[in-house]
Amino acid sequence: MQRGTHDPSGRTADAPARPASAPTTPPAPAPVPASARSSGSASPASASASVSARARLVLDSLEHLVSGFGTGILALVALLWLAVTALACLVGVGLLLLPSALHAVRAVADRERARLSRWGPEVIGPPPLPSGLRAAVTDRAVRREVAWVAVHGVLGTFLGVVGLTLPLNAAHDLSFPLWWSLVPESAATAAAGWWTVRDWPGALLVLPMGAGWLAVILLGMPALARLQAWPGRRLLRPGAGTDLVLRVAELTATRAAALDAHATELRRIERSLHDGTQNRLVAVTVLIGAARRALARDPADAVAALDRAQDAAEQALAELRAVVRGILPPVLADRSLPDALTALAADCPVPCEIDADVPGRCAASVEATAYFVVAEALTNVARHSGARRAVVTVRRRDDRLCLTVRDDGRGGAREAGGSGGSGGSGGSGLTGIRRRTEAHDGTMELASPTGGPTTLEVTLPCGS
Amino acid sequence: MRIVIAEDDALLREGLALLLRAEGLDVVATAGDPDAFLEAVDAQRPDVAIVDVRMPPTHTDEGIVAAVEARRRHPDLAVLVLSAYVEQAFATSLLARGSARLGYLLKERVGRVEEFLVALHRVAEGGTAIDPEVVAQLLTRSRPDERLRRLTPRERDVLALMAEGLGNAAIAERLVVSDGAVHKHIRSIFAKLDLAPTDRTDRRVAAVLHYLEGGAARRS
Repeated sequence: MQRGTHDPSGRTADAPARPASAPTTPPAPAPVPASARSSGSASPASASASVSARARLVLDSLEHLVSGFGTGILALVALLWLAVTALACLVGVGLLLLPSALHAVRAVADRERARLSRWGPEVIGPPPLPSGLRAAVTDRAVRREVAWVAVHGVLGTFLGVVGLTLPLNAAHDLSFPLWWSLVPESAATAAAGWWTVRDWPGALLVLPMGAGWLAVILLGMPALARLQAWPGRRLLRPGAGTDLVLRVAELTATRAAALDAHATELRRIERSLHDGTQNRLVAVTVLIGAARRALARDPADAVAALDRAQDAAEQALAELRAVVRGILPPVLADRSLPDALTALAADCPVPCEIDADVPGRCAASVEATAYFVVAEALTNVARHSGARRAVVTVRRRDDRLCLTVRDDGRGGAREAGGSGGSGGSGGSGLTGIRRRTEAHDGTMELASPTGGPTTLEVTLPCGS
Repeated sequence: MRIVIAEDDALLREGLALLLRAEGLDVVATAGDPDAFLEAVDAQRPDVAIVDVRMPPTHTDEGIVAAVEARRRHPDLAVLVLSAYVEQAFATSLLARGSARLGYLLKERVGRVEEFLVALHRVAEGGTAIDPEVVAQLLTRSRPDERLRRLTPRERDVLALMAEGLGNAAIAERLVVSDGAVHKHIRSIFAKLDLAPTDRTDRRVAAVLHYLEGGAARRS
C-alpha cells in the first residue's frame, strides 16, 4: 500500500520534516529523509526519484569539491607568496613585495567569493584594497582574507584531494574483479594499497570494500563539500555593518557620478541640437521664405536663396549625423570597438596608430565609454598637444579593458578644476573623461610632464 | 528703416540680412557677439535691433542682457528678440520695463516672411510683437483663474491676439469680423477681467500680459 502522496521533489508528504542540517546548500536538491530511503513500502517511482536526487546532490558536491580544490591550490600559492614576503621582510625588502602579495590574496579571495556565490547565498566582496600599505595591512577584510588563504590553502586543498580520491577508490574496488588478474601482482592491490590480492576469493573480498567507498561517497560527500566551503563563507563575507555601509556609500557616489555624467551628456546633446541643427533648419525656413518672396520679383534671386537653403539643409544633416555619432557611434553598434577606434583615428588630424587586441565584446555601455574616452583624448591631442603622432593601445586584462593614449606632444596637460590648469590644456575634456570613467567604476591616470610626452591610461570593468 | 542684426550663427545672420535687404530694408550692421552688437548700435544708431537670445560666450541669455543694455543706452531703440524656443523668464525680464517697441518671436516665424515683416514694422513703429506660443503658454498656465473662464471662446481669441500686440484693425482682419465687433469684444474682456480700458495698443498689451502673468503667479 502506498504511503501518502509525493511532491515533485521526491519527498513523501508524511515524511518527517527535513532536519535543519544543511542550511548552506539551498540550490541542491533536498536530501532524502531516511524514512523514504529505508522504507520498503515506498513506491518504486519514489525510490528511483530519491536515488536520482541523491546522485545529483553527490555529483554537485563533487563538482564543488573539485572547484574548491582549484581555489585551494591558488590559495596555497598565495600563502607561499605571503610566506616569502614575510621572510623578505626579515631581510628588509619585504615591503616591496607586500602589495603584490595582498593583491594576489584579494584576487584568490574574489575567485572564491564568485565560486561560493554560484551555488549558495551571494558572498559580497569588500571595497577595493586601501591604497596605503599601513591601511591595507590593518584593514579587517584583508586580515580575514589572509586567514582564509591559510585555512583554505591547507584544509580546502586537502578536502579537495579527498573528494577526488573517494570516487577513484570506489571505481577501483568495484571494478577490481574485472581486471585484477591482468596486472602484475604488485599492482593488484585494493584501493589505497591496503592489501595485495593473490587469488579470486581475495579479489571478491575487494568488492564490499568498493561498496563501502560508495556508501561513504553517498553519505559523506555533501558534508565534505560544505566543510570545504565553510571557511570561505565565514571569513570572506563582509564584516557586520560598517563594511556594507561603506560599500553602499561608494556605490551611491558612483551612481550619482553616472547620473551626473548622463546629465552632462544630455546637456551636450541638447546644446549641439539647439545651436547646430536647429539653427540650420531655421536658416532653411528663412531662406525658403526669402526665395518665395523673391519668386514674385525676380526668379534669379530666388535661385540664389534656394541654393543657400540647400546648403543649410545639408549642413543640418551633417550636424545631425555628428550628434548621433556622439551618442552611440553606428560603427560601434554594427562592428567592433577596434573598427570604431580605427575610424576615429582616420578622422584625427594627427597621425594616429590603433593597436587594439580585444577578444570578444564588452558591454555596450563600456564600449561606448571607451570610444568616448579615445575620441575625447584624440581631440585633446589634435587641439592642444602639438604632437606629431599618437598611439592608442587597447588590451583586455582579465575582466578589465585597458586603454592607453600616448602622444609625443609638448605635455603639460592638466585637468580643469585643479590648481591653475595651464592655458589650452584641454582640461574640461579630461574632466569629462574622468567622470565617465569613474561612473563605470573605472580608473584614469594622466602623466603629462611639461615638454611631453603625454600618456593617458584608463581602465574599465568589462561588465561581461 | 535702419536695422542691426545680432546673431552668432553666421549662416542664419547672412540669411536674415539677405531676406531683409531683398525687402528693401536697410541692414546697416551685423554682429556675432554681444560686444560687437553694442558697438554697432552705438555707432549706427539703428531704428531696430534684431537680437538672438543665445550668444557667446555661455550661450544662455547674453542676447537678452545685451538687448536690455542697448535699450538702457538708447531708450528709443526698438528691439525684436529671436529665440530658438519659448523661455517665459526671458520674455518676462524683457517686458518688465514696458512693452513698447519690443518684440519676442520664435526664430521659425521669420520663415513666414509677410507676418514677420508686419511684426517688425509694428515693433519699429512703437508697438509690440509677442509670439503666439508665448501667449498660448500664458493662457494655458493661468487657466485656473476664475475670471478667465468667464470669457467666451471668441473673446479668448481676441485676448490672445491682443496679447500678441495686434491692433484693433489687425485683429478684425485676422478673425474676419468688423472693427465694431472687435471693439465690443475688447470692452467686454476688459470688464470681465477688471482691467481699465485703453485704446493705446502698447498699454493694452502690457495690461493683458501683466494680467496673464499674475494669473500664472497666483497659481504657483
